Amino acid sequence: MQSRRYLLRKVLHAIGTLIFVLAFNFVLFRAVGDPVKLLTRSNLRLDPKEQAALREELGIDDPLPVQFVNYVGDTLRGELGLSFTSGRPVSEEIADRIWPTVLLVGSATVLSTVFGILIGIKGAWRRGSAFDTSSLLGSLVLYSMPEGWLGMILLIVFAGSLGWFPTGQMESTDPMTGLAHVGDVLSHLFLPCLTLTLGYLGEYAIIMRSSLLEVMGEDFIQTARAKGVRDRDVRRRHAVPNALLPTFTLVFYSIGFILGGSVIVEAVYSWPGLGRLTFDSIAGNDYPVIQGIFLLFSAAVILCNLLADVLYGYLDPRVKEG
Amino acid sequence: MRGTRRALLTLAAAAAVMIGPATSAFGQSASAQAEKITFNVGTTSDMVSPNPFKACCTSEYEMLLLNYNMLFGFSAKDLSPVPELATDMCQPSADHMTWTCNIRDDVTWHDGVPLTARDIAFTYRFTLDNGLSTFSDYLPFDPTFETPNDTTLVWKSKEPTIAPTVPPYIPIIPEHVWSKLDGKPAKEIRAYENIPAIGSGPFQLVEWKNDQFWRMEARPNPIFGTPTIDEIVYHIYGNNEAMVQALKSGEIDYAYEIPPTLAKSLEGESNIKVYKGAANYHTNLAFNFGGQAKAHQPVYGTPPETQDTANPALHDHAVRLAIAHAIDKKAIADVVFQGFAIPADTFISPDKAYWHLDIPSDQEYDFNLDEANQILDDAGYTQKNSDGIRIDPKTGKPLDFDILAITNSQGSEKSAELMAGWMEQIGIKFDVRPVSESKAYVEWENGTFDAYVWSWGGDPDPDFNMSIYISSQCLGWSDGCYSNPTLDKLYKEQRKTFDREQRRQIVYEFERLHYEQIPEIALVYPQIIEAYRTDTFKGYRPTPENGGNLLFAWRVDSYMNLKPVTAGSTSGDGGGASIGLWIAIGAVAVVVVGGFVAMGRRRGEEDEA
Repeated sequence: MQSRRYLLRKVLHAIGTLIFVLAFNFVLFRAVGDPVKLLTRSNLRLDPKEQAALREELGIDDPLPVQFVNYVGDTLRGELGLSFTSGRPVSEEIADRIWPTVLLVGSATVLSTVFGILIGIKGAWRRGSAFDTSSLLGSLVLYSMPEGWLGMILLIVFAGSLGWFPTGQMESTDPMTGLAHVGDVLSHLFLPCLTLTLGYLGEYAIIMRSSLLEVMGEDFIQTARAKGVRDRDVRRRHAVPNALLPTFTLVFYSIGFILGGSVIVEAVYSWPGLGRLTFDSIAGNDYPVIQGIFLLFSAAVILCNLLADVLYGYLDPRVKEG
Repeated sequence: MRGTRRALLTLAAAAAVMIGPATSAFGQSASAQAEKITFNVGTTSDMVSPNPFKACCTSEYEMLLLNYNMLFGFSAKDLSPVPELATDMCQPSADHMTWTCNIRDDVTWHDGVPLTARDIAFTYRFTLDNGLSTFSDYLPFDPTFETPNDTTLVWKSKEPTIAPTVPPYIPIIPEHVWSKLDGKPAKEIRAYENIPAIGSGPFQLVEWKNDQFWRMEARPNPIFGTPTIDEIVYHIYGNNEAMVQALKSGEIDYAYEIPPTLAKSLEGESNIKVYKGAANYHTNLAFNFGGQAKAHQPVYGTPPETQDTANPALHDHAVRLAIAHAIDKKAIADVVFQGFAIPADTFISPDKAYWHLDIPSDQEYDFNLDEANQILDDAGYTQKNSDGIRIDPKTGKPLDFDILAITNSQGSEKSAELMAGWMEQIGIKFDVRPVSESKAYVEWENGTFDAYVWSWGGDPDPDFNMSIYISSQCLGWSDGCYSNPTLDKLYKEQRKTFDREQRRQIVYEFERLHYEQIPEIALVYPQIIEAYRTDTFKGYRPTPENGGNLLFAWRVDSYMNLKPVTAGSTSGDGGGASIGLWIAIGAVAVVVVGGFVAMGRRRGEEDEA
């Protein structure tokens, strides 16, 4: 009963947040002015007849409540409108760009989590050692470094000056197939993935380290040691599983930040993903696309938070009871 | 220990299986490449669409220029019209309402079908009948087009016109491809993908990956000949720094539109030449004269209530003249544009040499703060408030102006800040308000600003640029609803003047009056900065020939003339990527080996225990 109520509460909370985001999204993107005017002066020469047709198509002359009902209906049907710039459905634009971002953000999340946790464990277990001091310092430096800046430095050194890696994009312009294509994508992925991995690794290492240190002072660790359990088993079987919990939640919570970070990193490395689409859409005043991405990012973060809450509840029953 | 060894052996075998085919495939790709001469261009602007009727900006126009032919092109000397699909200039009837054009008979479409006068008539009619306003301005007075035979086009206008000689910047599209879209809604026509784009130009668009690259392959063309290069790949970069790094690493041969600060960083770089291109647009301080509320006739809805907040002091010519004397255009060119700009005089940029009026230096508004102060004193602005700002005797309000600086317009903010400093010294306050372009459109429409710092480009023909200062353009193309009956009259007159030289004199008169009356102050003509590798291709040709742009200009000369520096020297991202590939594979291997080693050691420890 307890757990079902916990789950229900979390799901309702997530739905509530999503409804708020939906409404906020609607208001926010109607405060920017008349999209038809933006289009006519900056991009296309449209005569009044075409302007009128466009206004009707975009439905911007309807009363606000009608617009809101249409907007909610359309969004629920997955219709996010048409891009101002390309004229294609926003859902198609997003679908085209989602996989490059999943590849980049996914690989960077896995790598930064694994290496961050390993570094954190090693540092905490040998607290005060040379490894601990240097890794802590390194983590703090990486944690506080803006990804855009780090990316630019790596780009200038390894792509521009040394020419080891391509300066951008996800693949070469020459058509390739099979393993050659995989290798090509890997070489393009390397620098942006390294940038994001370094950018988030520090945070995970620091959290894992402090969390493990906290656990190491607990009574049950003392008990385990007193029982004569070997040091390595104390670490593996007693300390780390308990210390992993906060780090684990953090990983889910920071998916949103990594998506945000990917906007900058994708712009730096001309990576054709959602981040680049966001960047270009903002520069080109393409509000339907920005609105669509905003909704998707918000939904992704809300979903990840919900997942973290639910899984955390199962991993640590104390949470559900609280 | 045995575990570790086994893991390593397995990994080595796996790596051999993976890397073997990967690298051999790379080798194949590189050798296939060597046969083809690819010219790699870097830009930060992707095409909006390859569909001509969605053309917006530089990238699409470059693609259209290469992929299609037009009735007339532009001369290398001064961008005046020259025959392209026409064999000579069109001949007018006495009343200038009927123009007869002779069309070449040797041009074919990329699919082999011959191009005839009917295709030209179809393109123009298609544009007008389907309400495709991208190009319809070039076809005024409701014209009709007749084709008595395959090589004759008769353009009949309802009023006397010079439109065929302007000339119309309309790419000619094949009737046999586009006729299926005739009569469909404009939206559907604009949604047509158009890849591969069947045209008649010296290159054909064959591939476009949004935000990544587009590829154009060479096609024989009787007008321009056959180029040496086999294909052009336009690489699209997310930022200027990455594009410059790609030029340094040899991934691209040429980079378009580099910001001045980055151009400085390329100076002294071996095998790279930085080229200061044409000054083909001008930045301006455009004043708002008010009147937006009256002009506001929205198609739907009600007009906004409060408008016309423009400061009435700007209607006083003396105030505008004093401001003009208090602007050091050279300092703006040197400081804001790092020397990559020319101080401006008139609103027609100097690359349009035939139409550009060069104001003699003794008649220019020189930077003279004493003179500016004197002008204001003489005009009665002698009283100052406690902040030292002059008071307008007519309204009792200080000369305090709300200046919009457009954050996404190059140099706008910095120019505005510099000007604010000079204005302070003549008792005028510039409240600089940085706004995004989208916000600026809203302010522009509502008239809620006193002046802004923005820019204008235009066609080789001056008609469009002149139209900006016409009374009827308030909330059309006008910056701040300026109105001057003499300018209106001159504009109409030049449209009906069929002798080119006579028309030029009217345009000059318009430019002179515009300069005297100061509806805006043209600040500088920024130069487009291009850079290219000198060790890959040679033979760049500027358009116009005297100091114009190398690429992204009005002609295809550079592309037609480019040759590899040494035989078989083609660049491309194959070379750089293969080292990257090795490192990437190495990194993956390290991660995997690390994992196996850790596992192996653990197993070893367990064995020992």
